[in-house]
Amino acid sequence: MIWHIAKRELYDNLNNLRFVLAIMLLIGLMITNAIVYLREHPTRVQQYRSSATESLEVLKARTDLYDIALNGPGDLYKQPAPLRFCADGGESFLSEFVDGGYWMWGYGDGFRDFWLLNYPASNPNLLNIRPDVTKVDWVFVVGYVLSLLALLFTFDSVSGERERGTLRLMLANSISRHTVLFGKFLGALISLCIPTVIAILINVLVISTSSAVHLSSEAWERLGIIIVIALVYTCLFLALGLLVSTRTQRSSVSLVVLLLAWVIFVIFVPSTLASIASGLSSPISFDELQKRQNQLHRELWDAYRDRTSGDETLRRTQGRSEYIIEQQEQQERSRREHLNQQITQVQQARSVTRVSPTAILQHSLEAFAGTGFTRHLQFLENTQRYAREYREFVENTDRSDPESPHLIGVPEGMSKKPVSPEAIPKFEDTFSLGKDFNTAAIDLLLLTLFVMVLLSAAYLAFVRVEV
Amino acid sequence: MLLTLIRRELLDNLMTFRFAAAVFIMLLLVVANTVVLLKDYERRLAAYNTALKTHQDKVQELKAYSGYELNIDRPPNPLSIFNAGLDKRLGNQVRVYHAFVPTLWDAKMHGSDNPFLNIFTSIDIIFIFEVILSLIALLFAYDALAGERERGTLRLVLAQSVRRGHILLAKYISAMLCLLVPLLLSLFLAMILLTNNHSVSLSPDDFLRIGGIVLTSLAYLSVFYFIGMLISEVSRRTSTALMLSMFIWGFLVLVYPNMILAVMSPSRPPRAQVDSAMKQMEQIWEEFDRERKGFLINDPVPGESIWFKIGAVGGSHEHLAKRASALDVHFRTGLNLEEINERSEPQVPHAQNYFRFLEPRVISTAEKTWLLREQGLKNIFVKPASIDRILLKFSPVGIYDSATQAWAGTDLHGIRDFFDAARQHRQRVIDYFYDTKVFGTRQWFAGDKQAVDWNALPQFSFKRSDIGINTERALPDVCLLLLINVILFTVIFLIFVKSEV
Repeated sequence: MIWHIAKRELYDNLNNLRFVLAIMLLIGLMITNAIVYLREHPTRVQQYRSSATESLEVLKARTDLYDIALNGPGDLYKQPAPLRFCADGGESFLSEFVDGGYWMWGYGDGFRDFWLLNYPASNPNLLNIRPDVTKVDWVFVVGYVLSLLALLFTFDSVSGERERGTLRLMLANSISRHTVLFGKFLGALISLCIPTVIAILINVLVISTSSAVHLSSEAWERLGIIIVIALVYTCLFLALGLLVSTRTQRSSVSLVVLLLAWVIFVIFVPSTLASIASGLSSPISFDELQKRQNQLHRELWDAYRDRTSGDETLRRTQGRSEYIIEQQEQQERSRREHLNQQITQVQQARSVTRVSPTAILQHSLEAFAGTGFTRHLQFLENTQRYAREYREFVENTDRSDPESPHLIGVPEGMSKKPVSPEAIPKFEDTFSLGKDFNTAAIDLLLLTLFVMVLLSAAYLAFVRVEV
Repeated sequence: MLLTLIRRELLDNLMTFRFAAAVFIMLLLVVANTVVLLKDYERRLAAYNTALKTHQDKVQELKAYSGYELNIDRPPNPLSIFNAGLDKRLGNQVRVYHAFVPTLWDAKMHGSDNPFLNIFTSIDIIFIFEVILSLIALLFAYDALAGERERGTLRLVLAQSVRRGHILLAKYISAMLCLLVPLLLSLFLAMILLTNNHSVSLSPDDFLRIGGIVLTSLAYLSVFYFIGMLISEVSRRTSTALMLSMFIWGFLVLVYPNMILAVMSPSRPPRAQVDSAMKQMEQIWEEFDRERKGFLINDPVPGESIWFKIGAVGGSHEHLAKRASALDVHFRTGLNLEEINERSEPQVPHAQNYFRFLEPRVISTAEKTWLLREQGLKNIFVKPASIDRILLKFSPVGIYDSATQAWAGTDLHGIRDFFDAARQHRQRVIDYFYDTKVFGTRQWFAGDKQAVDWNALPQFSFKRSDIGINTERALPDVCLLLLINVILFTVIFLIFVKSEV
């Protein structure tokens, strides 16, 4: 019976104007998305490859251990995500690399600060005088357009029938009410799925037939998960549409309520709440960070000043070595603290925006597409782990040389043996599906919870409604 | 008769649920966002004030003229609360010194913000209007004619001796009166919040600008009401009209602006153009450098060093700075000495001679490259941006946005006014340098004898353009909106007169 009702709804929708318009809109958007992606992605990958190899070449050319320990691994690049067409994630505002060769103070007389990790900011806006736009990615298509379509497909499904009097007729038959409701839900879902699936197929077809892009099997898995999430998200809006449609007497009122709710939750809540929440905490500014670093440096230098100079070679070398190591740790720590403060601010804002299903969709799509803020955090973590590995490598190599005085930080205190370029650890930025699942878990659960609540609310409302 | 019709329509509209909902949602969104935007403005203003102070202190610390490098700061525009435009996005501090012509592309941000926050989109009051006003206008209009036709009341009304034009006019006037309520009420609340805030100081001109924004909003609202009316007229049933209006709304407001820019505009500036412009500018500077080196070789002190064997504490720099992303090549050379040894005193006049020769040439070469750079910037950055803006104007949202930006002074023109002022300031400083003939003095590069009186230099001040210029910039877009209104009304009228009921 449920299929019967669903089928009836489906036929009803297929003949409707909105179905044709929805197909046209979705296909247009998805083709745009594919074209833009194909235009931008190959250059992005090429740029990543060339800059990553370049910085690797520089690293490989080093053979002296002091040189390696002094200058660091150079720029570490973030691998561009092949699924960026699904979620852009504001990638242009997240830096493409971490500078692993940054130093601030030199002291003459052949010794200088060691490298540390520096996290550059990326702000393309400074040069960009073009108008602001939202990127047409799947998050936009599903989050904004598909959700609006879902409401347009359901706003009159109950109230319209009530207005026409057919609801009474249908319920006079021996059909249980929940069958009617779920039939309607299924019918709307299927009739919305048809244009969506067609549009997605066209999109993926255009992208995968292009020779410039190669999607791995893992990327296809991720794509599958993304489609499922999009489906759940659409169900949420269908359920909301049914609920409001049941509770209101006239379809025009139902649409007004739904549209206003849509505008608030989809368009305004994510950004307004984000700005409110980010106002709650204020990380120290970059200027303050620099001031603090200067102060730390001065204090440390004052403490070590007499031990780093003088005529006694061994004492001087020891002093310098200790100073350089401590300076490196201290400066890197203060930089990391500053970064962590910034991250906390953003994460607070992001967690508050979870009130809006669109923000949840965005977060989870970003997680699986491998873009956006959480992915950037993964990248930063990767670089920090690599930095540790790199330093351990320097220490171990020095330790394994019996002729070395084991005083890292100064040229005369370290092993003179040439290092083979193969032995130096290389940085490679990796994705991991398991990790992405973990970061997206809470979002997925929340999304499912929303759908459950709305569906059961619609069910309760429909069971109790008077016809 | 017209009045009776208007009264009837007005009562009809005022009692509806959509009216209450419209008022409620507008108030809610505008008030909530105004509070957020005011906070944001306060933060930006505080950042501006601290930056201003640090930069002033920094100048006072300098000892010699050649170090003159004033960082001037762009104050946040209080009207950016209405339409942020480019005000928040573009750099708000730029260095001004004699050897370099500053532009918008050389500006930096105060180092006080968390750069990650850029991943969140920001909203201003005009954005709320763009989305909500258009939606509400369509919701008021979709059943204006189709509904009456369905209910049969249209036939009844037309059976009276009423002119068809009057019916349309009555419907339009009453709906616009209703729509004005949420618009004005929310703006009124926003203005109360704005004027009660201590950090925002609005001049009388600003109130006029806000008045301009309100007028433009009215024209925008009316365009969408007419679009809804047209749809209502051509579709037989209200449900079709509603569906069609919602799709058209989604397309015009949501889809078109984002889609057209994604499809039409290349994301990277053309490589070849950038390279050739960079090369030309580099050549000019290289020629300058040859001349400079020639002077150094021919002067009585052997070697090419700009230290002229002066024993001193201080620093020097000579380098060609290149930044292809902003199409910028400039040459910096200078000597900045804190203490000079007694023994080196006889060498000092050589350095004076050098700078007397060099600095006017630095200035003229900077100006020469500026001519090239200005052209290049126009081709590479400004032209694509203005094409984008023209493309956006195929949707009323784009016209409305650019008109309100022009009123608020947060459009490209408004921002460039500031950088024009920065360039004028540089010119004034150079004139001062020439007038006081400082290039050949010892004070130009050494601060050991006598400190520079920085307060004697011309001071930078910037005032936003006056309301007349704002009006001039906003007028084309406002006229365009009005024209669309007139065209739509004529079309509706013609169709309505000829239609069968």
